[in-house]
Amino acid sequence: MTSRGTPSRFLQSVLQNGVGRYVCQLKRISLVFSKKGPSSLGVREFIEEGVVDYAKNNPGTVVYVSPQPCRVPKLVAEYLNGNVKEEALTSKTSQQIAELITKLTNQSGLDIIRIRKPFHTDSPSIQGQWHPFTNRPRSIEPIGPQKPPAS
Amino acid sequence: MVFLTLSCWLRNRGPHRYWKVQEVLSHARHFRGRKNRCYSLAVRAVRRAFVYATKSRKLKQRNMRKLWISRIAAASREHGMKYPVLIHNLVKCSVQLNRKVLSDLAITEPKSFLSLAKLARARQQEGFGAALGDRKEPPGVFSRIVTLQ
Repeated sequence: MTSRGTPSRFLQSVLQNGVGRYVCQLKRISLVFSKKGPSSLGVREFIEEGVVDYAKNNPGTVVYVSPQPCRVPKLVAEYLNGNVKEEALTSKTSQQIAELITKLTNQSGLDIIRIRKPFHTDSPSIQGQWHPFTNRPRSIEPIGPQKPPAS
Repeated sequence: MVFLTLSCWLRNRGPHRYWKVQEVLSHARHFRGRKNRCYSLAVRAVRRAFVYATKSRKLKQRNMRKLWISRIAAASREHGMKYPVLIHNLVKCSVQLNRKVLSDLAITEPKSFLSLAKLARARQQEGFGAALGDRKEPPGVFSRIVTLQ
């Protein structure tokens, strides 16, 4: 796992999300589970209790519930920047699934890879960035508006 | 009649070779030459790369500190002071800025760095005055360190 061999990115927020209004970056959540399998028990409990409240609390996210014959119950989360995240929910309790869903809601869709610096500024310099002439004395007087001739 | 001997000869001998080879080659894709394509060369190169990565975690801190020190030295020389003098006098004034912050100030905030250099210069002059002249009270302001209770 070299730093050059593995992908990395800089810290950023999606379009300065929190500065004005906050937009939830989670676009769509699909719960794929089976009606009878024992591994989907937690998912079925969550759908009975928690899904409707979650959908009411997050009006910007579309919740799809699809019972299918499947061995592994899945949670497919799609974000506004196009990233898709799949999580397996085999043998999880309803509480754990709720925590997982809140975690995915609070994420932005950016990749979870190494972040190069834990800070980011758009304006790193306030007094003006150093250039070779900052600390040199001026060779010419500053040029101002030219005075008209007196006569 | 059921033929069992043939099925006894077929054994499940582990994950397919392709996936095991790809696990190594994926870490070698950005290398130069045949090491990024051929497995036997890539294995050795990837192992070396990982060893270098572990060793350089300590080297990185050393190199960054060296870089900060050389940047602060260059900036203070622009203002007519040397690096050890600047650092010693800033410490005596109890300015607890570390080298990383000082180098960032020198790059993005040149006027603040100039004021820090002037502070260090003033403290240096007071130190000289206290050492050479026999004054009972230190005349300057910077050599008086105030402790908050």
